[in-house]
Amino acid sequence: MKRILVIDDAATVRLYHREILEKAGFVVAEAINGLEALEKLEEAPFDLYLVDINMPKLDGYGFLRALRQLDVPQAPAIMISTESSASDRQTALVAGANLYILKPIKPEQLLLHVHGLLGEWHQP
Amino acid sequence: MSVMPTLPRISDEDFQKFREFFYRKTGMLFEDGKRYFVDKRLLERMAATNNETFRGYFTLLRFQASGGELQTLINLMTVNETYFFREEYQFRCLVDSMLAEIVAQRSSSTKPIRIWSVPSSSGEEPYGIAIYLLEHWPLLRQWDVEIISSDIDTQILKQAKQGLYAERAVQHLPEPLLKKYFQRVGAHYQVRKTLREVVEFTQVNVSDSADMRSHRHFDVIFCRNLLIYFDDLSRKKTAESFFDALNPGGFICLGHSEAMSRISPLFQIRRFPEAIVYQKPLEAR
Amino acid sequence: MALKKGKPTPTLDIPGERQQARDLDGLVQALQADDPLMRRWAARDLTPHPEAAAALVAQLRRETENSVLQVILTSLTAIGDDTAVQGLIDCLYLEDAMLRNAAIEVLKELPDQVAPFMDRLLQDPDPDVRIFAVDVLESLRHPRVEDWLIEVISQDPHVNVCATAVDLLGEVGSDQAKAALASLKQRFADEPYIQFAADLALKRIEAE
Repeated sequence: MKRILVIDDAATVRLYHREILEKAGFVVAEAINGLEALEKLEEAPFDLYLVDINMPKLDGYGFLRALRQLDVPQAPAIMISTESSASDRQTALVAGANLYILKPIKPEQLLLHVHGLLGEWHQP
Repeated sequence: MSVMPTLPRISDEDFQKFREFFYRKTGMLFEDGKRYFVDKRLLERMAATNNETFRGYFTLLRFQASGGELQTLINLMTVNETYFFREEYQFRCLVDSMLAEIVAQRSSSTKPIRIWSVPSSSGEEPYGIAIYLLEHWPLLRQWDVEIISSDIDTQILKQAKQGLYAERAVQHLPEPLLKKYFQRVGAHYQVRKTLREVVEFTQVNVSDSADMRSHRHFDVIFCRNLLIYFDDLSRKKTAESFFDALNPGGFICLGHSEAMSRISPLFQIRRFPEAIVYQKPLEAR
Repeated sequence: MALKKGKPTPTLDIPGERQQARDLDGLVQALQADDPLMRRWAARDLTPHPEAAAALVAQLRRETENSVLQVILTSLTAIGDDTAVQGLIDCLYLEDAMLRNAAIEVLKELPDQVAPFMDRLLQDPDPDVRIFAVDVLESLRHPRVEDWLIEVISQDPHVNVCATAVDLLGEVGSDQAKAALASLKQRFADEPYIQFAADLALKRIEAE
């Protein structure tokens, strides 16, 4: 079963994503900020990361930059933002996001992206 | 006809709500299995603060300007007793992983390796570290190690220097170690003088920057189950002072329910086989 | 070699980073030193000097070293006067996400000082600034928090601003939020997240 880490400081957002992903058969873990996410993935790597941008201690960009430098099995990451300027998208992709999507998110849209990225990731 | 008094209770919704709030504030997440433990303490505090409903108590927790009730509850939820070799896996991590790395980074063994244990409480931790090194770190023959231990409470420091313990504090120590490092004093055990003499005890208020400034150049800091009692700002301030007190590449160990991810982004997370600890980056100053 | 009795600070220690004068002028000057260690110590030693808030804010905007930045933020939190708060609020408008998030974190620690600015922030033309303002409300132990949140979900045209406010109402909301939550659900009838978050908030309020 694929494991997904949901990283967001808002409890309701984490719960929302958890319900959608669990219904679709994924195993979900949560982290409240980027630093906690780094701690969690030190315990066991994940198959996909769902990353909010604005969080305390370590934001989404910082998390992705750190993740991409770590010597752990890498996995795709979706950056979720409330911002829509071109520069944010660019920063996210440079930091190591594989996809940049805007809130609010519809369940079918989220699952489409998750399945899509997981599929691509395993192709050579 | 008798009227049954309605006893306050914690509903599932209350529990969820409290759990989320407490998790956000402290980083401690209660599993469902802890429900009884949590409810019992919540009801106890509700009674103590004259709140008949959870809602009333929860409002107090959230909005009390002093945060005093939250602190009391945190204390209650984290009751800890100290004893020798508490959270021993971190001592193993010290010997097998952290010291190995520190020694590897040093070019010569002229300068001592320095360990700081805060808070000293009644001394179980610093003496425990000393015993652990003597027993399990063969390189102690080639290196000098200094152990400094500090507490804010002068009374407890006096006790720590005395090194006198009841049976319960030493119950996790194997018999041979007890014989080797302690002597019986009536019903108590006292740390032998030779060991008491190598640990330096000092009074430190970790929130006071002058106190903290006088404690410097450490390779490893143990600060377990202390920061959990602080508010966010003091916690962050203290972590920053520890950052200054460490040599580059030095380590800090927190208690098992504490995570630096809730406190400060200054440190790197290091996962060793025995434990997760936090490191001041080697290139930091 | 063995266990030896040590001192809190080794005798050999030369506290070079603190050689500069420790008065206000000396510290403000040291805040711009080349050596990050000196800047960090200066930022820390400025904590008891509210007069230095402006200098700390200025350094915050140009500081490149994270360890110094963190200490500046901590000192600004401790000072917490209008200059500090205004300087932090200005950071909400910056492109630098890290600085923005750090500012939000600090502002959350200063409820009484931030409160007077809140009405204006919640009316800011930039929806992202309004989201940050709602984020700041999260930790504000302030009696008006619920009123502010109700106002946001009743009036703010931007779905993400409302979404952030609903998250919070689930925690602090009372009966008086129910009508606003119900009308929010109608206003964004085709947004599943709003439906989810508003239902959750209503369920929690009902359970009280």
